[in-house]
Amino acid sequence: MSELDFKPTSAVAEPCSGIDLRALSSDSQVDAVLDELDRELIGLRPVKQRVRDIAALLLVERARKQLGLAAGPPSLHMSFTGNPGTGKTTVAMRMAQILKRLDYVRKGHVVAVTRDDLVGQYIGHTAPKTKEILKKAMGGVLFIDEAYYLYRPENERDYGQEAIEILLQVMENQRDDLVVILAGYRDRMQTFFRSNPGLASRIAHHLDFPDYACEELEAIAQRMLEAMQYRLSPAGLAALHEYIPRRMQQPHFANARSIRNALDRARLRQANRLFAQRGRKISREELITIEGEDLRASRVFS
Amino acid sequence: MRITQGTFSFLPDLTDAEIRAQLEYALDQGWAIGIEYTDDPHPRNFYWEMWGNPLFDLRDASAVMSEIDACRKAHPETYVRVSAFDSTRGFETTRLSFIVNRPTHEPGFLLKRHETDGRHIQYTIESYATQSPEGRRYT
Amino acid sequence: MATSLDRYKSGVMPYAQMGYWDSDYTPKDTDVVAVFRISPQDGVDPIEAAAAVAGESSTATWTVVWTDRLTACDLYRAKAYRVEPVPGSPGQYFSYIAYDLALFEEGSIANLTASIIGNVFGFKPLKALRLEDMRIPVAYLKTFQGPATGIVVERERLDKFGRPLLGATTKPKLGLSSKNYGRVVYEALKGGLDFVKDDENINSQPFMHWRDRFLYCMEAVNKASAATGEIKGHYLNVTAATMEDMYERADFAKQLGSCIVMIDLVIGYTAIQSMAKWARRNDMILHLHRAGHSTYTRQKTHGVSFRVIAKWMRMAGVDHIHAGTVVGKLEGDPNVIRGIYANCRDDFTKKDLTQGLFFDQDWAGLRKLMPVASGGIHAGQMHQLITYLGEDVVLQFGGGTIGHPQGIQAGATANRVALEAMIKARNEGRDLWNEGPDILAAAARWCSPLRAALETWKDVTFNYQSTDTADFVPTASVA
Repeated sequence: MSELDFKPTSAVAEPCSGIDLRALSSDSQVDAVLDELDRELIGLRPVKQRVRDIAALLLVERARKQLGLAAGPPSLHMSFTGNPGTGKTTVAMRMAQILKRLDYVRKGHVVAVTRDDLVGQYIGHTAPKTKEILKKAMGGVLFIDEAYYLYRPENERDYGQEAIEILLQVMENQRDDLVVILAGYRDRMQTFFRSNPGLASRIAHHLDFPDYACEELEAIAQRMLEAMQYRLSPAGLAALHEYIPRRMQQPHFANARSIRNALDRARLRQANRLFAQRGRKISREELITIEGEDLRASRVFS
Repeated sequence: MRITQGTFSFLPDLTDAEIRAQLEYALDQGWAIGIEYTDDPHPRNFYWEMWGNPLFDLRDASAVMSEIDACRKAHPETYVRVSAFDSTRGFETTRLSFIVNRPTHEPGFLLKRHETDGRHIQYTIESYATQSPEGRRYT
Repeated sequence: MATSLDRYKSGVMPYAQMGYWDSDYTPKDTDVVAVFRISPQDGVDPIEAAAAVAGESSTATWTVVWTDRLTACDLYRAKAYRVEPVPGSPGQYFSYIAYDLALFEEGSIANLTASIIGNVFGFKPLKALRLEDMRIPVAYLKTFQGPATGIVVERERLDKFGRPLLGATTKPKLGLSSKNYGRVVYEALKGGLDFVKDDENINSQPFMHWRDRFLYCMEAVNKASAATGEIKGHYLNVTAATMEDMYERADFAKQLGSCIVMIDLVIGYTAIQSMAKWARRNDMILHLHRAGHSTYTRQKTHGVSFRVIAKWMRMAGVDHIHAGTVVGKLEGDPNVIRGIYANCRDDFTKKDLTQGLFFDQDWAGLRKLMPVASGGIHAGQMHQLITYLGEDVVLQFGGGTIGHPQGIQAGATANRVALEAMIKARNEGRDLWNEGPDILAAAARWCSPLRAALETWKDVTFNYQSTDTADFVPTASVA
């Protein structure tokens, strides 16, 4: 973290002459994070573009501030909507780094929570619980997954509203200290925001995370296998190609996470297959190869 | 007088920015922060009242600064100190402790001498403040 | 080793053949291992010299004796297993020797030292001999009490954290009467020091009887405590001619409510262990002055290195030990001092030849020994002292307090302000080594005692060649 300190740059000029945005950008090393985001996540082009847009906005705000053109601290709170396994948490972490490098947050760590971390079970339990989480997140980013669970209007004994009140306070009054990112399914987040206009009005940026396409999921699968030091045989590759669209039709599809699970199951089947042949010597090649049958045994094909 | 307990008591009172810098140092080391207050500054009064539980897992000093301000506001005429605690093996103790608030007027201590046999004297230190009941010690 | 038929034939035999040299031996975790610096006489083979040291510090004698065979003599023989030349010093060799645990009485420094250094240092075939370092096995460490109080508990008792402690020796060393002596103590403590101390030879002399001194010092300590709200102390020296006298003095110190007493190294290892036991039983911090050590620790060729003495003293159970200042008036090379401080303060000291640490040493949870830096240091060196010595140390400014032009209180205040300002700056992330003088100057602007101190001593340094340096130089590493 220490090498990311923003240093005053030679790009700062007197009020009358111009600002060198490129120098400002390279000094803050934001490009490195954006490039890493490009490399790390497959697809998600609209999201990556939005992240670059936001980074550019923040950079220009910084430049304006250096010329004394400040217009108060910008609101940085965000909402990320999309299905599970589409990269929301990963982008939240990269966003935290970008904010740190542009000096919008002091430390740039991410505290990821869900409703249960913020809401208590009895009267008086919620406020201290929420405040403690907020303290830990100060100086960084608070990422609240499935944020809509905070709001349960049908249950009058629900303490989620208290947590929302406290959050609203902090999001308004301590914008220097904390950035909040709310995340969840798109339609449920929309309902949540409609019922909580105060919260909605404090969100400056909405990012939507589309589902991955089949080729993207295949590429993700290949990358995961490479990281685990496995490879697919040609039959395996064909099986994967057929597996993915079938799996996407099934319920509870969680994009990259479901791919991960499928690969883990394939590894299990591979292991059993090899173990069944334990009478003979197994080659290194066999140990790293996933065969078609390891994938075709899935229920998806039945 | 001015009691000189705590790590920085011979320096001018720390500004909020200076307190924050010390807190950042402590948080960087991974230490937990505790805030305590008392109206009895006797040197052997080790257990000051705790202002909430110690704060663990913090990355930034603002959470602590707001608690310090709250404590000062609630107890303006008491001594308030901040301590940083290190739980690593071989230490497991306080590593830094300094005063962040003092009563406007510090009356100091009385040295009581109790003569016993021969030339022996038994010494007791009494805080002038504690001669008044709690709540009226620094008015 | 020679075959058993030949081994015990009467007559003289080289030590290396008697079983004291075994190049295949791997020391057990439970062995005590020592490394000696050997300077054999001309014509003496280094391996034979090493074996001779091993022999003469364990079971051998100059001729074969049949009574050896009544014992499990293989076990009791010390084994020299490695000999290597000392870099840059021809004619000197480091020799590693292992001793079985069975050779030692539990919990006895007197026995450990009598065994290892008791017999061999006058041995004619050696020109010179120095015990450089020792590895004490955990099994043996656990039989020792260790520091009676230790750094952590000492700080908790004093309620002082986050900075070095400050002390001073009363000056003049000798001659003051008790009442005037107590005045010096009061002034220094009131001005801002945490401790004042008796000097090593202040015991009970015609100009000052010990009881009088204790009474007046405790008056000063308590008065200063009430004046500042801090816990203060004065190291009351209980060194005396006999243990009975020492116990009498220590008990009196306790009765008077002192938090700390001191002893001198010259009372001997047995007395030191007794006093450490007493200190633990009586909740007293025990300060050790290393009086006399330089007679045998200072020359590289002959004697015992102070790092070994420090180890023994930690095992024996003292809480403070004078361990060097680097920049003061007494001998101290920075790397060697670092090694000594490591032995005092670590939970686990790692081998580092550039600091003269020849072994990894696991301290088995023995409490930590507070090093004390004393001797010709002044406030103007504060940034160097903190950089070299760290935070868990007692910095003693005797002359630097009492010799202050504005008086003793001013001297104490100058030191305390310099220290706190330096620690505050260090925590803020400033570069102490280079910015130290600026930090001191900034504090001096509002603190006139500090200004005067810096003016008075600004040109004082003690730059002499060190006599005791490490033999291994840190190699430049590729960036």
